[in-house]
Amino acid sequence: MITIPPYLKPGDTIGILCPSGYMPYEKAATAIETLSGWGFKIITGRTLGNQFNYFSGTDDERLHDVQQMMDNKSIKAIFCARGGYGLSRIIEQLDFKKFIKNPKWIIGFSDITILQSHLLSQYKIASLHAPMAAAFNDGESGNQYILSLHHALLGRKANYAVPGIELNRNGADSGILVGGNLSLLAHAVGTSSDIKTKNRILFIEDVGEYIYNVDRMMHQLKRSGKLSNLKGLIVGNFTDMKDTTIPFGQSVEEVIKDIVKDYDYPVCFNFPVSHSKENYALKIGCKYELVTSPSEVLLKEK
Amino acid sequence: MNRKNFLSSIIPLMISASAIAKEKIGNKNIPVKFEEEIPGKIPPYLKPGDTIGITCPSGYLTLEDTQPAIDKMKEWGFDIRLGNTIGSRDFTFSGNDEDRVTDFQTMIDDPSIKAIMLGRGGYGGVRIIDKIDFKKFAAKPKWIIGFSDATVFHSHINRNFGIPTIHSKMCNSFPADWNNAEPVQIDSINSIKMCLTGRKMHYEGQIDENNRIGKARGILVGGNLSILENLSASKSDLETSGKILFIEETEEYLYNIDRMMWNLKRSGKLDKLKALVLGGFNNIKPDDPGEDFGKTIYEIVLEKVKEYNYPVCFNFPVGHQKENYALKCGVFHEINISDNTVLLHEV
Repeated sequence: MITIPPYLKPGDTIGILCPSGYMPYEKAATAIETLSGWGFKIITGRTLGNQFNYFSGTDDERLHDVQQMMDNKSIKAIFCARGGYGLSRIIEQLDFKKFIKNPKWIIGFSDITILQSHLLSQYKIASLHAPMAAAFNDGESGNQYILSLHHALLGRKANYAVPGIELNRNGADSGILVGGNLSLLAHAVGTSSDIKTKNRILFIEDVGEYIYNVDRMMHQLKRSGKLSNLKGLIVGNFTDMKDTTIPFGQSVEEVIKDIVKDYDYPVCFNFPVSHSKENYALKIGCKYELVTSPSEVLLKEK
Repeated sequence: MNRKNFLSSIIPLMISASAIAKEKIGNKNIPVKFEEEIPGKIPPYLKPGDTIGITCPSGYLTLEDTQPAIDKMKEWGFDIRLGNTIGSRDFTFSGNDEDRVTDFQTMIDDPSIKAIMLGRGGYGGVRIIDKIDFKKFAAKPKWIIGFSDATVFHSHINRNFGIPTIHSKMCNSFPADWNNAEPVQIDSINSIKMCLTGRKMHYEGQIDENNRIGKARGILVGGNLSILENLSASKSDLETSGKILFIEETEEYLYNIDRMMWNLKRSGKLDKLKALVLGGFNNIKPDDPGEDFGKTIYEIVLEKVKEYNYPVCFNFPVGHQKENYALKCGVFHEINISDNTVLLHEV
């Protein structure tokens, strides 16, 4: 059984920190304002606005900030303000003993995938793949993707519908939803943070990668047995893709379609989960139904 | 004489076959070796008049760019057989997956070909490795030569058959103008011939204050870091325990090198080494302004291995660089890292 952390009520406290890359405090101001506006109390960790070279602090500072927020019973959810890179450096040192007894929602995506995968693979605890602080800026704090985070935190069941596209493979099935950033999922393969995907719906997204490298990472998932027994594959947006001087000759969508051609589960492309603003909140570890038809793609939380 | 090594010199194939068990990981059968590592059957060394096949299992290479290697290897006294993938092209690849599989398969199955040099690296090995049938190769091994993307082949062959391979420059690194080539480049290319003809190899690395001193003996394995990470938990995944591991990388960000080193560590590839050899880490991509990673290659590596006590050396002459000596993967080596020398010997 997967543990679903308690949903939040107005008045509950959300902790905000940066476990990986550095983020100036002011870039998180709108997110803080918005979360406060939803009726939550906000506590900020030392790593928000703090900088140590690329990172939001030394390994010890980041470790300490994440650890104390995970252990603090009065904090009901941890909102990661930014991804970047850095959780891989501290994940083995985090102590989940108290967290298991008092699980809470870990919110974020991108580099946060490593923590979310770890929580699921090691402790069977659900987490929330959702927009982070930058997504609230530029007048976007009221958009449907940010609102989907609010609804998810309150425990409302998601029911996302997006138009069907030609590329999709039609079908319907249900299963536990797992996934996140492709680079991080590939990076976790063979480690204790590696996720199981059998009989599950997998979602993936990535940013700023070379197409050949997406191909290589998809082969890694396939060769480590992660693509053969899915209930469905949700391909988010792969934004800012790069190609080599000599073109790879396929788009990311074609690459993925090719790799899963031997299987028959439903596959949908361009689902709004990504590094762009189209990024619906998805509960990793919760059960969803995926229906892909020529006219529509439905992802419904069960 | 060590009984196991003695036996392995007589019936190596039988021993290595019995040392392989199957472990269920994911949906793949991944071979796992239990016993003390024993090198697999060493492919026959080459004699003048033997034939070397050239094939491109990854990126495309023109015939013109293959010519310097053809000429040089003929000069060494070998005949050359060109595969259909030389000069052929499908976007970034030297042909579609099927063409590349067929070419490689033909060459490993052809008994008249004694060694196979890959034209170049690039990307593509992982797309075809599972479609290649190594049955005949395992029974009658031959030398597979290359590096970079060829790490897929080195690792797959080492993991599944224990058969030695040659990690070295490939056709695209042979200079068109030998008169203007640097001595280290010529030496590196000549070291391929030495490996192929059965010379016991000796290498000298660089003295460096970051090296960790010590002596070790073990089977040499390794290759390109990105590829090693990419093979994690697949049936080509490199088994490193009890071995001397070498790694090299090019054109990566420091943060990504750090992340890949964590993958090696967290997937159990660094804790039981006999020694760690770092080759070139070349053309590191610059960090974004104001977001310096803040750690050097030395720091990135040493912090991952600080709780282990095996010897470590840096800037060993292997990698995407002119000085890239041919190394026999899958063969016992001894390494001696001291304050004033770094020596690697084939045993």
